Amino acid sequence: MDDKKTIQITVNGQSRRCEVAPRQHLVDFLREDLSLTGAHLGCEHGVCGACSVRLDGQVVRGCLMLAVQADGRTVETIEGLTERGNVRDLQQAFVARNALQCGYCTSGMLMAAAELLDSRPHASREEVRVWISGNYCRCTGYQAIVDAICDVLAERKLARQGASA
Amino acid sequence: MKAPAFDYVKPRTLSAVFELLASHGDEARLLAGGQTLLATLNMRLSEPALLIDINAIEALKGISVHGLVLRIGALTTHSEIEASALVAEHAPLLALAVPHIAHRAIRNLGTWGGSIAYADPAAEWPCCLAALDGVVLLRSASGERRVAARDFFLDLYTTALAEGELVVACELPLAPPDSVFRFDELARRHGDYAIVGLALAARRVPGGLADLRLSFLGLGTTPIRARRTEALFEHAPFSALRLGALMDALLDELQPLADLTNTAATKRHLAGVLTRRLLASALAA
Amino acid sequence: MELNGDILIGAARERVWLALNDAQVLLASIPGCEEVKQLSPTETHVRVLIKLGPVRARFVGKILMSEVRANEGCVLNFEGSGGAAGFAKGRSTVSLSSEGEGTRLRYTAEAAVGGKLGQIGGRMIDASAKQTADQFFQAFSAQLEAPVPAPMPEPAPAAALTAAPATVASRPVAPQPAPVAESVRVLWFGLGCAATAFGFWLAHALGH
Repeated sequence: MDDKKTIQITVNGQSRRCEVAPRQHLVDFLREDLSLTGAHLGCEHGVCGACSVRLDGQVVRGCLMLAVQADGRTVETIEGLTERGNVRDLQQAFVARNALQCGYCTSGMLMAAAELLDSRPHASREEVRVWISGNYCRCTGYQAIVDAICDVLAERKLARQGASA
Repeated sequence: MKAPAFDYVKPRTLSAVFELLASHGDEARLLAGGQTLLATLNMRLSEPALLIDINAIEALKGISVHGLVLRIGALTTHSEIEASALVAEHAPLLALAVPHIAHRAIRNLGTWGGSIAYADPAAEWPCCLAALDGVVLLRSASGERRVAARDFFLDLYTTALAEGELVVACELPLAPPDSVFRFDELARRHGDYAIVGLALAARRVPGGLADLRLSFLGLGTTPIRARRTEALFEHAPFSALRLGALMDALLDELQPLADLTNTAATKRHLAGVLTRRLLASALAA
Repeated sequence: MELNGDILIGAARERVWLALNDAQVLLASIPGCEEVKQLSPTETHVRVLIKLGPVRARFVGKILMSEVRANEGCVLNFEGSGGAAGFAKGRSTVSLSSEGEGTRLRYTAEAAVGGKLGQIGGRMIDASAKQTADQFFQAFSAQLEAPVPAPMPEPAPAAALTAAPATVASRPVAPQPAPVAESVRVLWFGLGCAATAFGFWLAHALGH
């Protein structure tokens, strides 16, 4: 029972061959086996969003996925997004708006926000609030986080208009 | 918490799945999206010996039109339904409901078939399937069978799924051009299991709405169609003038189950509130 | 959580009481019951596998019986543990009265849950408790309404209760008919405690 399985997984652009126990969650695999501790554990049943990572370009709960399910797939963590510069404007906005205190929810918030920016570039403030309601924050009271995301929505919109002008 | 130890296998064919189910019985669980199963395992509320990952099975995938029905494969994720042009055209009710399903990260993995097989009383897909009189396609080692939505959802987390059987796809009638759909839920926070939800389907005709369908979630152990109320408008369309009669019939017909947070009276009242809102919206457009 | 109800059973009161005393009947009636073990004249342990939706959980508990009125009813106090998921305790009463050719069985159950079980909103607690009760009574009545294979033994006199050896009833071996105390406790354990507990587990398991 529960013999280790071999998986081929691309993490933050690097292809790896690893052995995982079937029971191991994706987020535990990333944190413990690959030392990518940017994703955090909160509730371990999918409601808090602290474990959010990107799988094949989509945000998922790292605690509601098994590492073995990521065989042949592409995972990106906050470390990878940061290296690529993919969310630099978002990260800068978070700092500017004081949208993080302890930082525990932040990587999950950035993951969720990044997907919003990509898929809902015209989101209203209300839509932002609904979108990130799956990420819990105990420190900030959320307003600053919403402000930061709205700032980036506006900036990117301006940039698109500038680019097409 | 961490999940208990289990073995894992990812078969490529349905016949392999049926063999595994036959030899392991209830000690094996099917893994599709895993958004309910893995949460259950993390809480140690189930300790199966084997997880059968069905995500490699092509027969369970895809959205397509066949004659007069839209067929949605069991492994279709909620996000795929949200993004699908076929769904937007032929089953727009689903597109209205999907943003209410949990949050984006869950929707990216959770599946249509999983939601229907679990049949949570507050789930959106069983409610929509009941509203549209959809059909569930089930397959086992002995073959395929089709079960209408009204015969599929039987009791609390209890469906017509037999041992060794799985949901392959569901079929929905293509939405006629004059159809109108509305969906809404009431919950304390977005993404919570709803206190009550309503899927409304009808056809726009001179004078109002015909073929009215009112399907509620969160009121009982299964989705509840208010059939007696719907029957009032079998021969003459619903219009704003008949709202009083509809509401009287509805509040009489609905017998919600209470839960720890909401009494039956609260649920009934909220069902009425939703009905008024969605009817007003449907008539106005 | 509070649950109460009643059911009309197509059998005479004495037969219903005997059936409630019969560990084999109860083992077959309580949904998911795997083992019934009497530890003493006043205490019975039971193990139930709860299967509802995605949940598959073993629940172990004990029942203490009091206020026995043969052929009429009794009171049960129960407590149980679902391991890491938490615990539950409660109280049930059952009373029988003749109604025409049959028996009206009335029951009440109240329970409190703690630990993780208690933290979870009981979204489906009433519905799941009701489903358990329905399933139990369906199975229970079906056994009563089946043909009686042999004359039922007389209820054991009081002296026999204290002298009764520890009996263990478990599937699939058919146990000896148990003393009066055991069965009713098992019944109310199964109805009140397990129904409460797994309803909570279920709600939590699906809480996202």
